[in-house]
Amino acid sequence: MTDWLGMAPPPRSPHPDLKARVLGRALRPRLRVWPLAAAALVLLVGGSGGYWAARTIRALGAERDTLATHLAALQDTVNSFIHGTATRLVQVSVSTGGRLGAVTIFADSAHHRWLVRCDGLAPNEPDQAYQLWFITDKGMKTAAVMPMDQDRPMVMALNMPAGDARVMGAAMSIEPRAGSAEPRGPMVFHLLL
Amino acid sequence: MTQPKRLSQEVEQSLVRRLKAADERALAELYDLLAPWVLGLAFRILQDEAEAEEVVGDVFVRVWRRVHQHDAQRGPLVPWILSIARNRALDALRRRRRWWRKAERWQQARVTDMDAGSEPASHEASVPGWPVHREVHAALAALPEEQRRVVVLAYFDGLSHSEIARRLDQPLGTVKTRLRIAQQKLTAALHHIKDWMA
Repeated sequence: MTDWLGMAPPPRSPHPDLKARVLGRALRPRLRVWPLAAAALVLLVGGSGGYWAARTIRALGAERDTLATHLAALQDTVNSFIHGTATRLVQVSVSTGGRLGAVTIFADSAHHRWLVRCDGLAPNEPDQAYQLWFITDKGMKTAAVMPMDQDRPMVMALNMPAGDARVMGAAMSIEPRAGSAEPRGPMVFHLLL
Repeated sequence: MTQPKRLSQEVEQSLVRRLKAADERALAELYDLLAPWVLGLAFRILQDEAEAEEVVGDVFVRVWRRVHQHDAQRGPLVPWILSIARNRALDALRRRRRWWRKAERWQQARVTDMDAGSEPASHEASVPGWPVHREVHAALAALPEEQRRVVVLAYFDGLSHSEIARRLDQPLGTVKTRLRIAQQKLTAALHHIKDWMA
């Protein structure tokens, strides 16, 4: 019967305002913490995801714009080579590592540039590279060293040698990886324009 | 002086039904019936009017939201609510005890209250449930001092048996024995209380 011990203390008259406060508090709609927390979590996750997505989209957009600008420049360069009135087209068949390939040269004498495309060249040994040479009236001058580790086409734009050296042709040899001052290795092709 | 109201089993069952049906007027009626007792119990434990009123709020909010948990098979509504009030008040008391300066003032107030004998002013006799209070109070007062002290320390101060033994500097077995005998006497004295009758 100790359940009733709570009635041992004398009663106290509650403050007249207490009833309204108590009933107001009891009858107030309950603040549902879990749904609010879940909604906040969803908002947080959604917001974070949205922010991440927006940032990624912005970064990718910027990269796309950069690539598009680069591509447009390359197209412009290629077009100037292909359609320029002073451009001369030379194609050389080459054989490397027992396979047949081709080197195509767009020689733009107006802008003193060459566009060279290599197709079907065998990949180099790890310590070797293809080296392209300008044949000038002053001797062989290096144009580019092209380590080729993968079996895929290569395109490059080259500026012709400065000074009074007159370009008379082109050659390609296989040289050490860092390139050579003058051709010493096996010749891939030798061409006078 | 207004006549005390009755809280018979029928009235209590009706109240519980209406509370479970979310009848707001039932909550107001329950407050009118029980708030003075809940406040009295909370004040008895806390000796602080503001904190006791806070407990009253907590109790009625809890009753309103959890009345479905009340099992009539296990006991009437009033003791259930009183137990909620006691637990809430003791929780507040334990929080407050951590603040020793305030607890010191509380101890002084408790001594004053014990000396005063806790008899209320006569106008409080109009509060519903007054006869039950008189019987419980009388049953408690009828206990020998050493038994009454352990009951008060256990019920109103929320102390464990070990804590009571340390507080009274008595063996633990003695405390348990006194509590058991006191409980038997209270049960016998209050056995006839089935309803809260005016």
